[in-house]
Amino acid sequence: MNDPRREITVAVAGQPNSGKSTIFNMLTGARQHVANYPGVTIEKRSGKYSYKGDTVILVDLPGTYSLTSYSQEERIATDFLLYEKPAVVLDIIDASNLERNLYLTFQLQEMGMPLIIALNMMDVAEARGLRIDTQKLSELLKVPVIVTVGNKGKGKEELKTAIINARRNTENNNFRIDYGEKLEPILSLLEKRLSEDLKISLSYPVRWLAVKLMENDSVARRLVEKAFSK
Amino acid sequence: MTLDEIKLGEECRIVRQNLGGATGQRLMDMGFIPGTKVKVVRNAPLIDPVDLLIRGYHVSLRHHEARGVEVERT
Ligand SMILES: Nc1nc2c(ncn2[C@@H]2O[C@H](COP(=O)(O)OP(=O)(O)O)[C@@H](O)[C@H]2O)c(=O)[nH]1
Ligand SMILES: [Mg+2]
Repeated sequence: MNDPRREITVAVAGQPNSGKSTIFNMLTGARQHVANYPGVTIEKRSGKYSYKGDTVILVDLPGTYSLTSYSQEERIATDFLLYEKPAVVLDIIDASNLERNLYLTFQLQEMGMPLIIALNMMDVAEARGLRIDTQKLSELLKVPVIVTVGNKGKGKEELKTAIINARRNTENNNFRIDYGEKLEPILSLLEKRLSEDLKISLSYPVRWLAVKLMENDSVARRLVEKAFSK
Repeated sequence: MTLDEIKLGEECRIVRQNLGGATGQRLMDMGFIPGTKVKVVRNAPLIDPVDLLIRGYHVSLRHHEARGVEVERT
């Protein structure tokens, strides 16, 4: 196909101190724009760069450990993902804190976001004697994993290439966390009920919404109450 | 017993946490779930914070937060 030049939006997500800002700066350089998210004082940093004829717009999401409705930062990050529907989410993971960082990754996966993982701080992980099988990680999560050392500019070109390739890869990756035999029957029931409502199922990732309802998440509850009250 | 009773240098295992709301959620995000080992690396009476090592990283809690985490000695 003869692809015209395109603009794609990439959200940069990650836990605090994963190196999100460093990677953001590494990719965008000086071309940045700072504003606030609508109605709040949380800074919204965006920037752009051109790569092989495409324009990539990066948006730095607030650094959060999770995507619940408990803090304004988390709600803003969640809303951006749900309503702005970025073409790709670049998930910055601190390789030296892999386990904790993957918690956010799983939530992004559950939201059905097309992900790329930047396995950052790899120098710190290695200095601690950790060895990470990045290929295995990529296979298990079914997403591209790029090793980066943000403050050294390592992995820059690889990330740019992965971002362009990811936006062409629109199929959903079907990653699914198995919550076990006690919770799965309840989740399927919720998923089934939610799927029956077209407004919900066309607007939100149903599995994600079901999990959030089970957590009694206030935003999820409000979404569903609104849809079912009409 | 609760996490604030664990002395400097001692290790324990989380039994459950009773903190609700944002703090409870935050601790869950950080992996404070039953069975997880925690080491206390700073705990002085009346002086916040209590510093902990959990899953290979450091977390600081206030005494009253640490009191909401039930633990057992390992
Ligand atoms: N050693 C090392 N330090 C890094 C790396 N990436 C970022 N940093 C440093 O880690 C700190 C936190 O990075 P920052 O981008 O502010 O994190 P953010 O909170 O996710 O935005 C800064 O001092 C960075 O220079 C990396 O890959 N290796
Ligand atoms: Mg930052």
